[in-house]
Amino acid sequence: MVYDKIIEMICEQFGMEPDQLSENTTFTDDMGIDSVDVVELIVELETEFGLDEIPEEELKKMRTIGDLADYVRAHTDE
Amino acid sequence: MRIILDAMGGDNAPQAVVQGAVRAARELDTDIVLVGREAEVRACLAACGGENEPRVSVADAPEVITMEDEAGMACYNKRRSSMTVALTMLKAGEGDAVISAGSTGALLGGATQFVKRIKGIRRAALGPVLPNGDKGVLLIDCGANVDSTPEYLLQFAYMGSFYAQKLMGIEKPRVALLNVGTEDTKGGALQKAAFSLLKEASDAGRINFVGNAEGSDLFAGKMDVLVTDGLAGNVMLKTVEGLAKFMFKELKKVMYSSTKTKIGALLIKKDLYGMKAMLDPSEVGGTALLGISKPVIKAHGSSDGRAIFNAVRQAIACVQADVAGAIEANIDHMKLEKAKEN
Repeated sequence: MVYDKIIEMICEQFGMEPDQLSENTTFTDDMGIDSVDVVELIVELETEFGLDEIPEEELKKMRTIGDLADYVRAHTDE
Repeated sequence: MRIILDAMGGDNAPQAVVQGAVRAARELDTDIVLVGREAEVRACLAACGGENEPRVSVADAPEVITMEDEAGMACYNKRRSSMTVALTMLKAGEGDAVISAGSTGALLGGATQFVKRIKGIRRAALGPVLPNGDKGVLLIDCGANVDSTPEYLLQFAYMGSFYAQKLMGIEKPRVALLNVGTEDTKGGALQKAAFSLLKEASDAGRINFVGNAEGSDLFAGKMDVLVTDGLAGNVMLKTVEGLAKFMFKELKKVMYSSTKTKIGALLIKKDLYGMKAMLDPSEVGGTALLGISKPVIKAHGSSDGRAIFNAVRQAIACVQADVAGAIEANIDHMKLEKAKEN
């Protein structure tokens, strides 16, 4: 559920196809997006899943779609 | 109309922002919301006699984004900053446009993250209008995106063209691509791929692409919109600004070098001030962040009250022109897969 929603958002925001993406896809090297884009996605996720603001140190650890999905799962009931 | 001002952004904030806001509320048909540290903002309002101005209100935001904050993360990390609060108010429909003279990178990041890009727009871009002795030339992008793709440049061309139509009053804006020569085959891989996309869009009658242009063509009146990646655009803009300052400094030296030149300078003083005003960024007000779903204006960091006033005037024009609406209506043609199909 969380992963599927993230993939849907990425495809919508960055014009990518679901089959290009996996849990191991990195934001910077594989997707070619920068920190502004990652935060844009995270702000969307905060709204979608009712998350509190993600601390900066946690944000800096997020390198892949899987990292992001794990964080959301750990901080919601999903 | 309701314009939201980041009261704490810029070298002369909050005084200059408040002064400009009060004047704008009195002279332009708009309400103004000043977002910032309430006590400081109210003190500035009292200092300029605007504490009872009925069309000016204050929204408290205790934090301030500084140049030391990491630009792309600043608004996210400082949710209670004047810039972030202003942008979230815009997103929530509590105003029609935001103006900030604060960090360009932070504003771009915050606008992308909190106001959002127009759906389908890959990157927002900075598009200042530079003087060229006529209606001006819009240089897009001027530093928002250091790395660009051909698709970004195609989108910059469309966005610049819509802006020129709606805000510069040019019916069929001439769009050129900044390159190292005017021949069709010039440039690196980015420019060559972008050239093909722009030509296709032009052949389909959607933009008026006039080909490649060199840096020296900027002020020659050959184009209304000059498309480039953010790196080259920023270098070009800063070079132009530096050269203009150098020229005025040298001109001043010449004018004060002898009695003869001093008399000459006195005779043309008024005309020179007119020329200086043409080149003064305070007269323009600010630069629109194109591609964001609602109007966000970046005012110059050193804005004084007059520059803020002019930025409000520009923001009002942006709201009325609805450039974002024009971009949205044409977004299908601005995406690479569609551009290739057509």
